[in-house]
Amino acid sequence: MKNSRILWLLGLLAPVALVGALLVGGSGTIWPDPRTELGRAILSLRLNRVVCGFAVGAGLAVAGAVLQAVLRNPLAEPYVLGVSSGAGLGAGLVILLGWTAYSVFALPAGAFLLAVITLALVYTLARQHGHLSRYGLLLSGVIISSVMSSLLMLLISLAPVEGLHGVVWWLLGNLQADSGALLMVGAALIAVALLGVLWLARDLDALTLGPEMAHHLGVSPAIITALALGLATLLTAAAVALSGMIGFVGLIVPHGMRGLVGPGHRRLLPATALAGGMFLVLCDALGRTLFAPVEVPVGVVTSLLGGPFFLWLLRRRRSASWVE
Amino acid sequence: MPAIELQSVFAAYREVDVLHDVTLAVAAGEWLALVGPNGAGKSTVLRVITGLLKPRAGMVRLGKRELREIRPAERARWVAVVPQELSVPLPFTVGELVALGRTNVRQRWARLAADDRRAIERAMAYTDVLELRERPFEELSGGEKQRAALALALAQETQILLLDEPTAHLDLNHQWEFFQLLERLNRECQLTVVMTSHDLNLAAEFCARLALFDHGRLAAIGTPSDVLHEDLLRETYHCDVRVRQESGRAPQVQPERQPRIAPPGVASRVHVLAGGGSGAELLRRLVLTGHHASCGPLNMGDSDAQAATALDVPAALEKPFSSLGTEALVAARKISADADVLVLTEVPFGPGNLALLTLAGEALDRGTRVLINTRNLEQRDFTPQREAQPRLRALLTRGAVGWQHADEVFQALEKS
Repeated sequence: MKNSRILWLLGLLAPVALVGALLVGGSGTIWPDPRTELGRAILSLRLNRVVCGFAVGAGLAVAGAVLQAVLRNPLAEPYVLGVSSGAGLGAGLVILLGWTAYSVFALPAGAFLLAVITLALVYTLARQHGHLSRYGLLLSGVIISSVMSSLLMLLISLAPVEGLHGVVWWLLGNLQADSGALLMVGAALIAVALLGVLWLARDLDALTLGPEMAHHLGVSPAIITALALGLATLLTAAAVALSGMIGFVGLIVPHGMRGLVGPGHRRLLPATALAGGMFLVLCDALGRTLFAPVEVPVGVVTSLLGGPFFLWLLRRRRSASWVE
Repeated sequence: MPAIELQSVFAAYREVDVLHDVTLAVAAGEWLALVGPNGAGKSTVLRVITGLLKPRAGMVRLGKRELREIRPAERARWVAVVPQELSVPLPFTVGELVALGRTNVRQRWARLAADDRRAIERAMAYTDVLELRERPFEELSGGEKQRAALALALAQETQILLLDEPTAHLDLNHQWEFFQLLERLNRECQLTVVMTSHDLNLAAEFCARLALFDHGRLAAIGTPSDVLHEDLLRETYHCDVRVRQESGRAPQVQPERQPRIAPPGVASRVHVLAGGGSGAELLRRLVLTGHHASCGPLNMGDSDAQAATALDVPAALEKPFSSLGTEALVAARKISADADVLVLTEVPFGPGNLALLTLAGEALDRGTRVLINTRNLEQRDFTPQREAQPRLRALLTRGAVGWQHADEVFQALEKS
């Protein structure tokens, strides 16, 4: 079948892209000599960065796909809904309070907590009139997102000067994880959450027909919705803890993959994870080489690529009723 | 044993009661239609049977078992639902959509088994959507969408099929096509079908039994001929209907026709003697049907006077809350002088408006036809000596014609 062949192709492409990205660095596109001390250090730094990029890309892209299915809104995405900003505020708080010193879990935990609160706020605001309105959701997402960002800005402007650079650099979105331990924890969280949503794939299919149809098909909509939203939030929080604010991945990648493998989540979610990982790793490689030796934060690259891509997608899909 | 059984079910949305003491049994292989006006509770019955709404009291059984004891996945193999309109926000093709009917039959990660494929193919063949399988659902026409939604439900291979207004968005041709499809499923597959419908005639044509709901209660249940009675329907739907029953055919319900628009030249000049809101509806219908209406004398601020102003009907007016005086009477005489017919409505009489009877008498003297409402005469005579009644009877003996329903007025107008 055509769709499953595409999935295999993505699976084969991913390692190629990862190895390719290992070759690319601010210092030029050379394979560093692993026999020298310097070469090993460079290689390890690049490997960390590529793994981080893949995990974050996969996490954000799948979070977008899940949010789109559960909220039945093709424009839903962690960044658009303010979940990223919430996670960012949580992570920023943890960094500025210096709690990162206590545990590697502090950063993802803080991000998750605030992200959950944000999504709950956005959801209740949008549900005010009995049902979840498509534009109400986006509107409340935009508003809550800017409130969360403003709170973070407030924190930053009140914070002492030392450590400020760290927060701001982190905020712009970069894939150089602070520590190997944080990378391990973040990537593990993302992997677990990915397995979780894969397990829900069948129920997500039913939920896209609406909570009542899902009920008729034997799925418990309330439980699945809560689980899926929780997992999408966890994906976002872990990604934000690792890399700061990176937008549009959750919008571009799932839409592209739906065109390739169809909307069924058993195929869509793995394809989205693979493609999301590759996408972010390649964006980062671009960011590192475009103005070398100066690095462009990967969040800037995704937004610069993502914005026009999204507009193009919107125009192309306008005829189809599912993007109104 | 019935396939579905409701026993004294009470149900409510938040605090608003929507079902009162509904007891209902649907036999296996039966096709039952739930009918009734908007808000009567038909859809709520479906929601109770599907478990979407938990009853406040009472019991729901599917076969031998109580609904609340059946797990969701198992319930999906027992009851399938076709919604009024299926919306699919992601670009599923018809084939992918119908396969969702197997959501809870197979294991979480299992591929479609031979059984599943057969069920899906059969469902698509029955509903004639096989050629549409590669098409995105959202690109289908209304009729095709509804057939695909039915295929999704059939793929569940359940004993019971519930449909909520399944043809509300379809045109006549597709309505019939869809109902004939249901008929086949009901007969050939012994499917138990329960649906809500606004179309009494379609329901009567196809369904063995109808259940008529009114204000959350089961008003009647039985064969179409048992349920579709003019009196019962008039009470539940609050409108006049005629039921035609040809032998050997399903009864046909037709709303009573409102009077036709009078062709130009046939329009009559009608002067209405009213008050207290007794003439507003008549004035409205006169204007709508193209007659030339006038009215008065009326007190300013009276609801009939307000209706006359709103409808641009010439009216002779008197000060608010005072007896009809000579001035208003003169004005009324003037505008009613060339009327073909004078109509006296079901107006309450007091000392202040006996002048209406004087005007009616004068019209009879001129040879103008006078129609007098004769309903509840005793109860609306508030004159101290009860003089309105004898005077009205005198007018009737002098040639005025009595009427009770507005229709009679319009029949009289057609004759003139």
